[in-house]
Amino acid sequence: MVTDNDLTKHLSEAQVSVEIQTEDMTLNIGPQHPSTHGVLRLVARVNGERCFDVRPVIGYMHRGYEKLSEVRTYLQITALINRIDWVSGYANEIPFIVAAEKLMDVEVPERAQYIRLILTEMARISSHLIFMASYPLELGAATPLFFALRDRERVLDLLEGVTGGRFHPNFNRIGGVKPNAGAGPTTKKTPQDLPAGFLADTRDAMSVVLDTCEEIEDLVAGNEIFRARTKGLGVLPPEVAAAFGVSGPNLRASGVNFDLRKVEDYLPYDKFDFDVVVGENGDCWDRWWVRLQEIRESTKIIQQAIDGIPPSGPLQAKVPKLIKVPQGETYVRAENPKGEMGYYLVSDGGTGPYRLKIRSASFSNISILSWILEGVLVPDIIAIMGSLDFVLGDVDR
Amino acid sequence: MTSSPSDPELAVHPLQEFADAAAEAVGGEAEIQFDTIKLRVPADQWVNALTKARDNLDLVFFSWLSAIDWANDVEVGDTLNEETEERIELLCTVCDLTEGRRITFSTDLPNVKPSVASIVEVYVGANWHEREAAEMFGIEFEGHPDPGPLYLPESFLGNPLKKSYPLLSREVKPWPGTVDVEDMPEKPSTENPEA
Amino acid sequence: MIETITDVFSNFWVSLAGKLLLVATMVPLIGMLLGFAEMKLSAKMQSRVGPYFAGGRWGWAQLIADGVKFFQKEDLVPEDADSPVFKAAPILVLVGTVSLFLVIPFGPGLIFQDLSVGIFYALAISSVGTIGVLMAGWSSANKYSLMGGLRAAGQLIAYERPLVLAVVGSVIMAGTMSMSGIVEAQISVGFPFVVVQFVGFGIFMTAALAELARIPFDMPIAESELVMGYLTEYSGFRFLFFFLAEFANMFTLSAIAATLFLGGYWLPFVPESSLEFTGPLILVGKVFLLTFTMIWFRWTFPRFREDQLQTLAWKVLIPLALMNIAITATLKVVL
Repeated sequence: MVTDNDLTKHLSEAQVSVEIQTEDMTLNIGPQHPSTHGVLRLVARVNGERCFDVRPVIGYMHRGYEKLSEVRTYLQITALINRIDWVSGYANEIPFIVAAEKLMDVEVPERAQYIRLILTEMARISSHLIFMASYPLELGAATPLFFALRDRERVLDLLEGVTGGRFHPNFNRIGGVKPNAGAGPTTKKTPQDLPAGFLADTRDAMSVVLDTCEEIEDLVAGNEIFRARTKGLGVLPPEVAAAFGVSGPNLRASGVNFDLRKVEDYLPYDKFDFDVVVGENGDCWDRWWVRLQEIRESTKIIQQAIDGIPPSGPLQAKVPKLIKVPQGETYVRAENPKGEMGYYLVSDGGTGPYRLKIRSASFSNISILSWILEGVLVPDIIAIMGSLDFVLGDVDR
Repeated sequence: MTSSPSDPELAVHPLQEFADAAAEAVGGEAEIQFDTIKLRVPADQWVNALTKARDNLDLVFFSWLSAIDWANDVEVGDTLNEETEERIELLCTVCDLTEGRRITFSTDLPNVKPSVASIVEVYVGANWHEREAAEMFGIEFEGHPDPGPLYLPESFLGNPLKKSYPLLSREVKPWPGTVDVEDMPEKPSTENPEA
Repeated sequence: MIETITDVFSNFWVSLAGKLLLVATMVPLIGMLLGFAEMKLSAKMQSRVGPYFAGGRWGWAQLIADGVKFFQKEDLVPEDADSPVFKAAPILVLVGTVSLFLVIPFGPGLIFQDLSVGIFYALAISSVGTIGVLMAGWSSANKYSLMGGLRAAGQLIAYERPLVLAVVGSVIMAGTMSMSGIVEAQISVGFPFVVVQFVGFGIFMTAALAELARIPFDMPIAESELVMGYLTEYSGFRFLFFFLAEFANMFTLSAIAATLFLGGYWLPFVPESSLEFTGPLILVGKVFLLTFTMIWFRWTFPRFREDQLQTLAWKVLIPLALMNIAITATLKVVL
């Protein structure tokens, strides 16, 4: 056995002393690739497994929403912007509607505000559960996917029960929420409230989601391989993140205690008690962990909102039938599941905006890719990219 | 330009103090519209102003950069109510990461061959946003490290977000949804819609 | 009548043909059985139902349907591919697997060929499949395939060593390299070698997982990184060959592990005279226990990174295995 040991030693020495000539290879990851979440393309130069000079190519899904918004009415635009970040379609509507309401000076009834808030948080939970599902899958673990999607479906069912759409609710109206919530022909003008038992069902669903969080934490966080794959990988310092405009959970994972829900007033978040989850190192592990904790915080908010929602009341403020937004400009931003989502709305008094700038979170979040992927290994490209949690619709708009 | 009054109920807007301080520090004209501070600076002060915003005002977070094409001739969408000076207005919003203060910087560029210095050196995140603005509005960003189209194919002609750029699908087939869909089930309303 | 049959089978060519036929039916059968087990077990672990409709009940015919489907598919060879190598690769992989069946003792005397260097042969032949994988990766003319093939080669070099070293402990204890000899040695000492060779068993199973390129060691395929690794360009029955080889390999490596460490076809308290009939069942039972563990791992763990895998092999498994050998040898001499 001694000889075997010696042989190993000699072999390893021999390998070190020989200089191997290698050629760089250009690897096209995407636009069709299992881990690029759609149609992102990365042009990477790789030398063996080490890659450098990664160039993201986007635009395969550019739909020109900013131009389209200029020819549509305010009511029609909510249907478009649902499709920007489709895993949290409901949350996309909020800042736009709030911006229009701001220009129109409309006071939204409290009950409608609460419904908006509950549904926004549910959209956040479903978006983060998608991340909980897809991220371990990118590292090779398939099972958390099913645990997370199983309970995301519960949340989506509830969302669908209220809005009629799982992904694209198109539920907000200027001045409140769609009064004919739930099923039923829209021609009938009977005002319909939340579906019966919705609040109780939501409460149940929240405890199920909390259980799933436990389950996922046991299965994923307790796994040595998962730790080894994510800890210390893809470290994003806070100042770099800020300069790139990386926002949301990715920014908080870098240790920045900043949450638009705490500083902006687009929804009555100040009435609720919840923590801003902050990571320590800004690595992939922290980005995963922050999102898991945010699910828990969201369930906390929803529980409080169910307790505090006014039992009855109007769902819609009085607004003119033909909506014309007065002249003005404003920027409203919201803490979406992916990060800062904002709309710069310029109105000239018409039925549609003169210009609508859509600030989407994923666009800025993945502009960091070429910086953060410099010199990593090929498997880590996927691990880092996945941890940023982007949606291509949100990148390309 | 829009010149809507600030909130009439409040004599002084809570953001006024910060807006004035920022205007003084950066050198520009501050205006508050609907809780949004807009700070106008001359085009040649663009980089300078944003550098000061980052260093002196602690607005370290780069949010977005884009532009508005103010035009009297509009191919698609609504026209302006009153004639305006035709120009490209460049906007850039930066924020801090503590109290949630934000300023939208604004500068006017000429309608023809707009050109401005790039702020990638100041906020590295502006890279993609400037590329987007460049292809959508035809703005040239001098000193941009990686110019070239971002969304559009290399061979694409024109600047889609300019008001003079037609929406071709709309040209071919008019959008059927210009009628307010909520009204459709009923008879066309005879009453004044503003009521 | 029976004598005639024995006579006929004592003819070398006839017995060879019979054995070949047996292996040829066993490999797809085992492949399908394990494939189905994996489908159903993973479904159970993931709160799904799994195959349900094919065959009318429990979806039992799913794998048969899949097999038929694979044969109906077009046999695609990429234009730039090195066609002969591309076509030969899956066959080589399957041959490597089939050859392993030769030395597995299913019962006393129930062995295709009882080689005196049985375990040596098994370990040598199990590496042949990797050459097929490397061929597949290289000839596909696809960058992902190439990376997959190279990863497979790196993995083989790293894990062949602990695999061989882990076996040595059992071989020292048995004093023979013949597979059936090792089982007999376990019968004569009265306990399966895993009782003292638990370190070797652990290393062997880990290395076997890596050899099989199953999660957590599935970097050569790594569908989230390399699309499908060396399998990217394969379709139709060539893909089926790889698929069958993977599952049959799972069976053979588990069978080798069972033979070396768990007593093979022998179980304590089962009368030795009945082993002729119960032996195969006992072995298959043990094999299924081990393959279940493999499937369980597959659906629980994420995958390692390439360098982490190499670190594990060279810095943990090989020193451990060497230590195990030293201790075993010392004890063998002392006791």
